[in-house]
Amino acid sequence: MKTITRRIWFEAGIIFALGVVVGLSINIQLVLDAFSGRLTLESSHGVESPSPSRMNDQALEPALFPIPVLLADIRELQRTGALLVDARTAESYDEGHLPGALSLPLGELDDRLGPFVNEFPKETTLIIYCSGFGCPDSFDVGVRLLEAGYGDVRVYEGGFPEWRDAGLPVIKEAP
Amino acid sequence: MSRSGLYLYHFCRLLLGGLFLYAGVVKANDVSAFARDVANYQLLPYAWNYLVAATFPYVEAIAGLLLILNFRVRPAALLLAVMTLVFMLALGTVVVRGMNIDCGCFNPGQGHTSAALALLRDVGILLLALLTLRLRGRMLS
Repeated sequence: MKTITRRIWFEAGIIFALGVVVGLSINIQLVLDAFSGRLTLESSHGVESPSPSRMNDQALEPALFPIPVLLADIRELQRTGALLVDARTAESYDEGHLPGALSLPLGELDDRLGPFVNEFPKETTLIIYCSGFGCPDSFDVGVRLLEAGYGDVRVYEGGFPEWRDAGLPVIKEAP
Repeated sequence: MSRSGLYLYHFCRLLLGGLFLYAGVVKANDVSAFARDVANYQLLPYAWNYLVAATFPYVEAIAGLLLILNFRVRPAALLLAVMTLVFMLALGTVVVRGMNIDCGCFNPGQGHTSAALALLRDVGILLLALLTLRLRGRMLS
């Protein structure tokens, strides 16, 4: 009886391992991209990310889509004057946001885009983020800012969850 | 085993197998959307959500297929029972934390099934898996 029970558990483990191997062999690129932070908008939005050739052409014509940016690049971009833009709701922003980020929720964009454009010159590099994992708000805000004339708009797709999970500082607004 | 017991066994096996084969296939069809659903639980670090989303649907689908094929029924039912228990633990933390997220049980990125409802459904699935396991054991004894 004990041997049968042990065999059932062992075979259950084999089935689990088989499923993991099949899943990894089909989705290995996605998993590697997730662990290396290379995930682009293509995988989560079903839209074409800028190809290297198109990115080279950006000086000549405006980009159609915001450019994905990695966690590792954010500090350097901020150092060179990039502005972080939080596309989540004001409540989420107050509960915790990236240092130096400005709140620009997608739902309030119609009212706040004008003052934003007046305050920040079109040459400013903008990094938009929201709640990670294909959260569409950062992408949508990024497209609207491109349409408003900003030439260098990036989307940090890892967003607040990746930043927080990396143990990086989070700013909370006083209630 | 009586004829009614035999019918019950096949009913449970096919229902459980069909349920998990369907759940596995629809989730494997959109791994990124399922990763987002897993991430909504806020239990795992960023990249691990993708690892779970890339593998678990295939485990579910293979175990479900084995049940439908009436092959390695007890290991497959045991595995699905353990996985259902893990899902229930995750859903329990969602209920305790008062979060309002979609359980991500079937169609990733579509619809909204509350954690409490999903938890209730998982109790039924767990009982179904345990019943399948027991009936198969009785058949072989």
